[in-house]
Amino acid sequence: MTGIVDAEGVTKRYGEVLGLNGFTATFSSGITGLVGPNGAGKSTFFRLLAGQLRSDAGTLTLLGHPAWGQGEFRRRVGYCPEGAAMFDWMTGEDFVTTLLRIDGFSRTDAIERAGRAISSVGLTDARERRIRVYSKGMRQRIKLAQCIAHDPELILLDEPLNGVDPVGRASLSALLRQLSHDGHHLIVSSHVLYEVERLTDQIVMISNGRTIAEGDIHRIRDLIDARPHVIELESPDPRGLARFLGSWDHVVSIEFLGTARLRVLTRSPDAFYAALPELVVSEGITVRAVHSADDNLDAVFRYLSEGMR
Amino acid sequence: MSGELNRLLALIWLSFRGSLRGSRAVGLTGFALVPSLIVAAIASGHPAAASLSSTAENLFALLTLPIVVMVILLVLSVGQFRNEIDAETLVYLSDRSVARPTIVVGKYLGSLGAALGLVIPATLIPLAVATLAGGTPYPIGVPATMTAVAVLAAAAYGGFFLFLGLVSRSALLIGLLFGFLWEELLPLLPGDVPRFTVIFYLRSLLSWELSTGPLSHFSTVVSFGASVAAPLGLGVASVVLGGIVLRYLETAPEREAG
Repeated sequence: MTGIVDAEGVTKRYGEVLGLNGFTATFSSGITGLVGPNGAGKSTFFRLLAGQLRSDAGTLTLLGHPAWGQGEFRRRVGYCPEGAAMFDWMTGEDFVTTLLRIDGFSRTDAIERAGRAISSVGLTDARERRIRVYSKGMRQRIKLAQCIAHDPELILLDEPLNGVDPVGRASLSALLRQLSHDGHHLIVSSHVLYEVERLTDQIVMISNGRTIAEGDIHRIRDLIDARPHVIELESPDPRGLARFLGSWDHVVSIEFLGTARLRVLTRSPDAFYAALPELVVSEGITVRAVHSADDNLDAVFRYLSEGMR
Repeated sequence: MSGELNRLLALIWLSFRGSLRGSRAVGLTGFALVPSLIVAAIASGHPAAASLSSTAENLFALLTLPIVVMVILLVLSVGQFRNEIDAETLVYLSDRSVARPTIVVGKYLGSLGAALGLVIPATLIPLAVATLAGGTPYPIGVPATMTAVAVLAAAAYGGFFLFLGLVSRSALLIGLLFGFLWEELLPLLPGDVPRFTVIFYLRSLLSWELSTGPLSHFSTVVSFGASVAAPLGLGVASVVLGGIVLRYLETAPEREAG
């Protein structure tokens, strides 16, 4: 294994609970997405990489160094944790500058770097405000600023887009792509696959503390699309809607849930979503809501997990 | 300036500022003023000059040292690590290139500096109030000795409580038991038992330095050197042990997989 980060059979227990269960993956250069449902072990993996936790079994290295350990190599790593906690009594600028000084930068250098990092996450106007008055999105941004301010080689981002508004997501995504373009290596976790798809083709999928798929996202997408997807619809006329849906080739089954809901199983969610608006317009059928049970990928992860057994 | 010293200074400054902020700072400042207020209240009754001065000295041994200093150090030191582990903010320090023992030293010195900002006024202002209110002026040795003893107490208790906060979730409770049972009750027991308390050595030091006055009557069965070394040793040992513990400590709070 010669990746930027190499995990080989990494296991982490929290008492009786397994946080990671023989997790094995190689993270190479550029951006790699770590995708998995909540509770899959993503944050545990990041905490192990950040040296906050020690694995119970297996080997985990980053930049050629064991993850459990301190030293100068930590200056080559930036970590943006998932939690919202920070030193709320500090201003954003003070927060980033102080952490740079703790990393050994001189005062002048720290102030200059903090200014650049804060500017790159779009918080210049709010840099002198106390963190306690920051919105959730602003807190995510200042965390990202402290993570990149020392120009680390490897950047670990645990759900970095969580809580950020759509405009902010677009600008932060652009920043992450720019960082990758500038030669930084990024590992970005998310429980939303499409969020990661916008950043990279390389993903590692994790479920129940284990790797369930690794590699090019399109190959994994094909694997996901090959199984029927569950879509739930709400309509005042579910039987009328079911008559039309039943004629579609890719619809496998239709189940009625109460008086106004349908559960549809389709082999081609893309075709389903493409055809549904047309049906609504052409036939005048009212559809109040559409829910994909697979949106959070739990079902996909279950499917892939079962495939691993 | 070397990198590690630069890091240490940044940690000290962070810890110092973090210690003295918000309602906690206001509350502790008010608490530190209690001995001064008591002396002022007594002075308003126009007691004899010698009696007023003597009362201010006694207050140091009976209230300031065992209660005010103890509470200030307990509040400021226990939370240095415990609050940050629980709030998950310690990660911002522990994932950096700074050596973990340096974090312990920085937090110790920063919180000690903040504590001294309260402890020293709590020690000296009552004496000043007594003098200004007509009490007998103190020879310089009295405030100097009391300040030295207060600083030693802060160094010892600060280190010990910081260590407790690092290793135990029940640090505050253990600290309270230590401060108000161990340190208060053990000195009342016969034989060598009082030697297992810090306050025994602090009071002994008062007696070594002050040959007259109300603070001169404590036991001096231990040497001057031992009176200084015991509290200082506790503080230093706690910080050294704390550095070793943090080096091997998992700093993320225990939780289920996430």
